[in-house]
Amino acid sequence: MANIVSPFEDPERRLAAGRFGMLIFIASLAMIFAGAILGVLVVRLEDEGTWPPPGMPQLPWSLLASTVILVASSATFLRSTRALRREDRPVFVRWLTVTLVLALVFLVVQAYAWWDLLGRGMDFSRHLYAWTFYFLTGLHAVHVLGGVIPLWIVTRRVLRGDLSAPVRRGVAYTAMYWHFLDAAWVVLYLTLIAGTLER
Amino acid sequence: MTTLEATSPNASNAPDPPVDNYLTYTRGVLSWVFTLDHKRIGLMYLVAVLGSFLVGGIFALLVRTELLTPGATIPGVDADVYNQFFTLHGAIMVFLVIIPSIPGALGNFVLPIMLGAKDVAFPRLNLGSFYLWIIGAILAVLSLVYGGFDTGWTFYTPYSTTTSTGGVIPVVTGVFILGFSSIFTGLNFVVTIHKLRPPGMTWFRMPLLLWALYATALIQVLATPVLGITLLMLIVERVFQIGLFDPAMGGDPVLFQHFFWFYSHPAVYIMILPAMGIISEIISVHAHRHIFGYRFIAFSSVAIAIFSFLVWGHHMFTSGQSPLMNVVFSLITFSVAIPSAIKVFNWMATLYRGSISINTPMLYGLGFIFLFTIGGLTGLHLGTLNTDIHLHDTYFVVAHFHYVMMGSALIAMIGGLHHWWPKMVGKMYDEKWGIIGFTLVFIGFNVTFFTQFMLGSHGMPRRYYNYEPEFQIYHVISTIGSYIMAAGFFWTLFYLVQSLFSGAKAPANPWGGRSLEWQCTSPPPHDNFKTTPSVGDCYDFSVVEWDEEEGGYVINRSKVEESSPDH
Ligand code: HEM
Ligand SMILES: [Cu+2]
Repeated sequence: MANIVSPFEDPERRLAAGRFGMLIFIASLAMIFAGAILGVLVVRLEDEGTWPPPGMPQLPWSLLASTVILVASSATFLRSTRALRREDRPVFVRWLTVTLVLALVFLVVQAYAWWDLLGRGMDFSRHLYAWTFYFLTGLHAVHVLGGVIPLWIVTRRVLRGDLSAPVRRGVAYTAMYWHFLDAAWVVLYLTLIAGTLER
Repeated sequence: MTTLEATSPNASNAPDPPVDNYLTYTRGVLSWVFTLDHKRIGLMYLVAVLGSFLVGGIFALLVRTELLTPGATIPGVDADVYNQFFTLHGAIMVFLVIIPSIPGALGNFVLPIMLGAKDVAFPRLNLGSFYLWIIGAILAVLSLVYGGFDTGWTFYTPYSTTTSTGGVIPVVTGVFILGFSSIFTGLNFVVTIHKLRPPGMTWFRMPLLLWALYATALIQVLATPVLGITLLMLIVERVFQIGLFDPAMGGDPVLFQHFFWFYSHPAVYIMILPAMGIISEIISVHAHRHIFGYRFIAFSSVAIAIFSFLVWGHHMFTSGQSPLMNVVFSLITFSVAIPSAIKVFNWMATLYRGSISINTPMLYGLGFIFLFTIGGLTGLHLGTLNTDIHLHDTYFVVAHFHYVMMGSALIAMIGGLHHWWPKMVGKMYDEKWGIIGFTLVFIGFNVTFFTQFMLGSHGMPRRYYNYEPEFQIYHVISTIGSYIMAAGFFWTLFYLVQSLFSGAKAPANPWGGRSLEWQCTSPPPHDNFKTTPSVGDCYDFSVVEWDEEEGGYVINRSKVEESSPDH
């Protein structure tokens, strides 16, 4: 063996180290979102006008729908990983699949929101209200994409009956990341709403 | 003692099988390209960082040469080209050299060995960090093809979103990617230190370099993402000409400065904390004396890391932020000096009555203490509101940050390089040549930069192509200093490379160190330790003895057992 792939011989300790690493990674990402949100709030507070500015649409209802979907996907993921801990495989597989479907639906709803607003004159380059909306939702969507791909991969392997240690690790890390995305979205959504309040 | 057996690996009379050292463990280019061995990755970082240092150094010499005369000096270099020179110099030195140098190169090499681990926690991620560094570096250099960039290393808006130089987006993207390289290195180190300490290696038995790298990693992980999002917003703004930093559209350009310094002040501690860690090792080992105030040094690293998040506003005293903010930032800035000074006093106390070996690493260590003291103290002039109004954006600031970034961080890195060179390559460099190299660098450095304190306090602004004739004498002296320094660095490169071919074979422990990396062979085997090393107080040099046969130091096992009753 030419390379030491992991210095941990004990799989339990390897998983624990991986989870800890994921936690730190999430802390890093949280700083990214915190920076973006803080910047938006500062600029919003410095702006004397109303958001949305005249001629631009309100935040669409589809955002509420996508919020519900994402929170639900976090809940189903939780059910699934709990089932795995009990070694209840059918329940685990079922809820994992549901999570993947919800994740994809979330992305579709977000895309719809963009398409809908673009059609109603929400022009990215005309006002920071629009800029903020696209920037924050886009930033989040990119991170969701980065979660859907590993989710897709582990789900496929699980559906093929593969429950090996690497797959279990993959599920564990993806779940942590997914719950973070869920929380981040709720905060972003609240930020967007706060932006439209009276100053 | 600990649960680990105390042994002296080199006292065994079986000769080392020559094959198992990490350099020759596997062969061929691919075995390096795909290596997961932290030692090889560290060595690749070292080569890459030194290569960048050469490029950044060439730009520095161009800048200094241009400043020899008040007007145009180098044919073909007009003010616009000059702006690109100093920008490239700064960006390369900060993002490609100093930030990755100690953690990426030396840290990767020694951290797992000092800890007693086989590798970092995530070897694949470690290699990934290295390639992110490569991609970031390529993008940064590619920016030259797109017309370079002249924003200064700080990329201040609105200039960076409007300048006609076309290389802004590639370089900013490059720095964005370099940031992730740094984040993943930090993440790896934090997890490694938490999860891979072998039995017996408690937190307070860790060498101070590991505490320093740990504190650094915290900053890398929590501050660098803010730079990432800031640069991302900058890119978006440059592409679409709208964003949070554009006042014409209701944005706020000072917000960029807040974000930038929220990262970049902590980033100066990404540069200096590991350097301080190296100095703690060098000073104690080469003075053969127990480090003084271990816990103070360890905790002051963490304290500095925490404080570093709270002082960014001292870069913005003249930006129009509120006077109250200025006062608060000034106050907290002074408080950072306390943990820094604690370290300096502890090193001095360690030296006091030590039996000091005057060799190259030690000279760099002593040089560091001298230069860092000047750099840190002049930071206080800058942190004082009324003096900073005068000194801001003058050569005084340039001199200050060169004393801390080059005179301290880089000097420590080079000292560390000499300290671990025998371990990394298995060969000794020539000590006399090393001392000559240090002398050139040290003298050249002070001639170059001390002059700039005078320039700055007389009012010479930074980043200027032309200047009043009265400043010329200082500029000429400074430029001569830079040539001396360059000669010193080329000389150092020469004798280090030469040692690879004709240096004496290095013993496992040439200096008399007590920490674990001196207990494996030089160079170390692929998985670091052939025999279980002796974990104990890594600054207790009373158990280290010179061994004539070995040609180096060994750890006396019976003394270890006497001197460390279980606690
Ligand atoms: C005792 C500790 C220190 C204090 C009190 C201090 C204080 C300051 C202040 C107030 C400034 C702003 C000056 C101005 O722009 O008018 C400054 C600039 C700077 N300092 Fe320090 N500093 C300290 C240590 C360091 C260290 C350790 C480093 C790096 C390793 C560093 C790197 C820099 C850099 C790069 C700048 C200028 C950035 C630029 O404008 O391009 N400082 N320092
Ligand atoms: Cu600062």
